[in-house]
Amino acid sequence: MSKAFSLEKWKYVFYTLSHPMDGYYWIRHADKGSVPIAIILVVLFSFSFTTNELLASFVVNDTDPRGVNSLYELAGVLALYLLICVGNWSVTCLMGGEGRLKDIAIAIGYATVPVTFGFIVSTIISAAVADDEQAFYGIILGVCIAYGLILMMIGIMQVHNYTLGKTLLTLILTFLAMLIIIFVLLLLSNLVGKVYNFIHSVYLELVFRT
Amino acid sequence: MKKKKLIAALCFLLTLVMVTAFTGEIEVGAITSLPYDSYNYDYRENIHYTPAPYEPAGMVVGTELYYNGESIGALKTPQDICKSPDGNIYVADTGNNRVVVLDSTLTKVVDVITSFNNNGNEDTFSQPYGVAVSEKGNLYVADNLNKRVVVLDKDKNVILIVENPQSITLGNNFVFQPLKVTVDYADRIYVIAQGQFEGIMVFDTNGEFTNFFGTIGVNLSLWQKFWRRMATKEERANQQLYIPTEFTGIDVDPEGFIYATNIDPNGIQAVRRLNPNGQDVIRKGENENVGGDLQTAGTSDYAGVSQFVDVVYRENGIYSCLDRKRGRIFTYDNEGNLLYIFGGRGTQEGTFELPVAIETVDVGLAVLDATRGGIILFQVTEYGRLINEAVGLRFDGDEAEAVGLWERVLELDEDNELANSGIGKAYLTAGEYKTAMKYLRLAMNRDYYSIAFKRYRNELLKDNANAFLTILLVIIIGINVFKFVKKRKKGVAADE
Repeated sequence: MSKAFSLEKWKYVFYTLSHPMDGYYWIRHADKGSVPIAIILVVLFSFSFTTNELLASFVVNDTDPRGVNSLYELAGVLALYLLICVGNWSVTCLMGGEGRLKDIAIAIGYATVPVTFGFIVSTIISAAVADDEQAFYGIILGVCIAYGLILMMIGIMQVHNYTLGKTLLTLILTFLAMLIIIFVLLLLSNLVGKVYNFIHSVYLELVFRT
Repeated sequence: MKKKKLIAALCFLLTLVMVTAFTGEIEVGAITSLPYDSYNYDYRENIHYTPAPYEPAGMVVGTELYYNGESIGALKTPQDICKSPDGNIYVADTGNNRVVVLDSTLTKVVDVITSFNNNGNEDTFSQPYGVAVSEKGNLYVADNLNKRVVVLDKDKNVILIVENPQSITLGNNFVFQPLKVTVDYADRIYVIAQGQFEGIMVFDTNGEFTNFFGTIGVNLSLWQKFWRRMATKEERANQQLYIPTEFTGIDVDPEGFIYATNIDPNGIQAVRRLNPNGQDVIRKGENENVGGDLQTAGTSDYAGVSQFVDVVYRENGIYSCLDRKRGRIFTYDNEGNLLYIFGGRGTQEGTFELPVAIETVDVGLAVLDATRGGIILFQVTEYGRLINEAVGLRFDGDEAEAVGLWERVLELDEDNELANSGIGKAYLTAGEYKTAMKYLRLAMNRDYYSIAFKRYRNELLKDNANAFLTILLVIIIGINVFKFVKKRKKGVAADE
C-alpha cells in the first residue's frame, strides 16, 4: 500500500503530464504508475467539477445550485470511469492491445489532472469576469479539456502499443462497447426485477393462503 | 389570591385565543378566498407563486341589466367587448344579433343596438362577432353572417359598409366573413376574417381592401422538410397542408401599433406587435417567449400550450393576453417580461368557462365569457397596482422613482425578479455598484450585473492602485535581491 502512494509515484504523475509519450510507456513497461493514485485523481476531478458548478460566478454558470449533489456526481463519475476502463479493456483485449486493465485505469485517471486544474482555475477566474469577458473563462476550460483528451488518447495509444489510427478506432469501439454494457446491465436489472417480483408474489400467495 | 390568579389565567387564555383567531382569519382569508392561482415564472422557468395581482370584482349578466325599465335578457354567446374613447363599453351579443352599450361602470345600459339606418332602410345584424370604436366615436361591427363590416355613427346611421372585397390576392371564391375588427387613429380598418391564413386584412378609410398585414410564416422542421423531399408528388398532394395559424384577437395602441394574438402550436410566440408596415416588433424578454405558460408538459386535456384568444393594450407598454386553454390572463411589459399571471377555469365567481375577449374598464379588467354569457370583472390589488405603477415609471424613464414601489413589492413577494432588477438598476445609476450587484444577482440579470461588476472592479483597482503597485514592486525587488545573493554565494563558493 505504501508503495502505491510513495512520493516517487506522485512525482511520476507530473512527469507523465509533461512527457506523456515516455511517461505512459514506462507506466506499462516499468510499473511506474499507481491505480490508487489514479482513483484519487478521478475523485478530485469529480469534486472540482462540482466545485465549478457550485462556485463559478453566475455570469458564466447556468447550473441551478439546488440540483447539484456532490456525492451523486462522484458516484456518476466513478461509474463512468469504471465503464470506460472496462469498455476499453474488453475491446483492446480482442484487438491485440498490450495494456492490462490496471494500465488503462492509470492512463485515464492521470489524464483527468489537466481537466481538474482547468475547472479550479476557471472557477477562480470566473469571479473576475463580466458578461463580455466570458471568453477567458471558456478558453482556459477548453484548453484544459483538450489537453486532457489528448493525454487520454496518448495514454491508451502507449499502453497498448497502438498506432494513432488504431487508437481512434478502438476509442470509437470503446464507446460502442460502453453502450452495449449499459444495455446488458439494464436488461439484467429488468430481468432480475421480474424474477424478484415472481418470487415475491409466490411468497405473498403462500402467506395469504395459510 | 387563588381567584385572582384564575382570572388572570383566563384573561390570558382568552386574549391568546382571540389573537390567534384574528390573525389566522386574516391570513387564511387573504390566501384562500380566490378561486385561482396567481404565479409567475422565474429565471429558471420554475413556477413561483405570487400574491394575487387582481381579485374578482363581480360579474355582469344580461338578466340584471335594465334598459327603459325592461331587462335586456341574458347575453347569448357574446364574442367581443370593446371600450370606446368616451368610456362606454360595447358588447357584441352575437347570439341575440345585437350590440349592447353599457356605461363605464357596467351597471347601466346606455343603448341596445338591434337595428340601424342603412340609407333610409332599416337593417339588422346577423351574428355580429366583433366590435370596435374609433377615436371619433364611430362603431365598427364585424357582421359575420351578413359577410360585411358595418360602420355606424353615434345616431346609428350607416357611414360605410365594407363587403365583398376585391383583389387579385384574394382569389375568386373568397367569402368574406369577418370575426374581429379594430380601427386605428387614421380610421384604417383591420379585420380578422374566418379561414384567412394570410394575415390581417387592412381596409382604408373608404372601405377598399389594401393589403394583408402581419402574415405569420410557416416554420417547417428539418424532419418535415426531409419527408416532403422524400415523398412523391401524389403523396405530397395527399399530405396535410402546412398552413400558418390564424389570428384570434386584435387590439390597437394609441401610437397605431397593432397587437394581435394567434395560437402558436410551439408555445413560443402567441402575440405580435405589428408596426404600420406589418412587421412584428414585439420584444420577447429574457426567456425569448411571449407564448403564455412555459411549463405545458402532460397528456391530459388541461395540458398543452396556452391558446391566446384576445389581447388588450393597457398603458405604458403593458398588455394582457387571455388564454382560452386554462383561462389565465398573462400580462407582459414592453420588454416582454411576464409581469403576472392569474385567472383560471371553473364556475366560481372570478373564473371562466369559455373566455373570448378581454378589455380594460374603470374597475380594472373585464373578461367576456361566451358560455356563461357574462362579463367577469377584476379589480387591482396592492401588489398588482405596485407592479403596474413601477413598470409605468420605468417606461417613462424614471427608474429611480420606482425603487420605493419595487421595495414594497419585495415585501409582498420576496423573490420577485422584476423588483430586484428594478432596484438593482436604480442603484447602478446612483453609483452604488456593490448594492446594485447584490440585487441584480438576485434578479439573475446578467447584462446589468456585468455593467455594475465592471464599474465596481474598476473602482476597486483605482482605490487600491497604490497597494497593488507597491506589492508588485516589493516582489520584483525581492526576487532580484534573492538572485543576487544566490549568485554571490555561488561565486564565493567557487572562489574558495
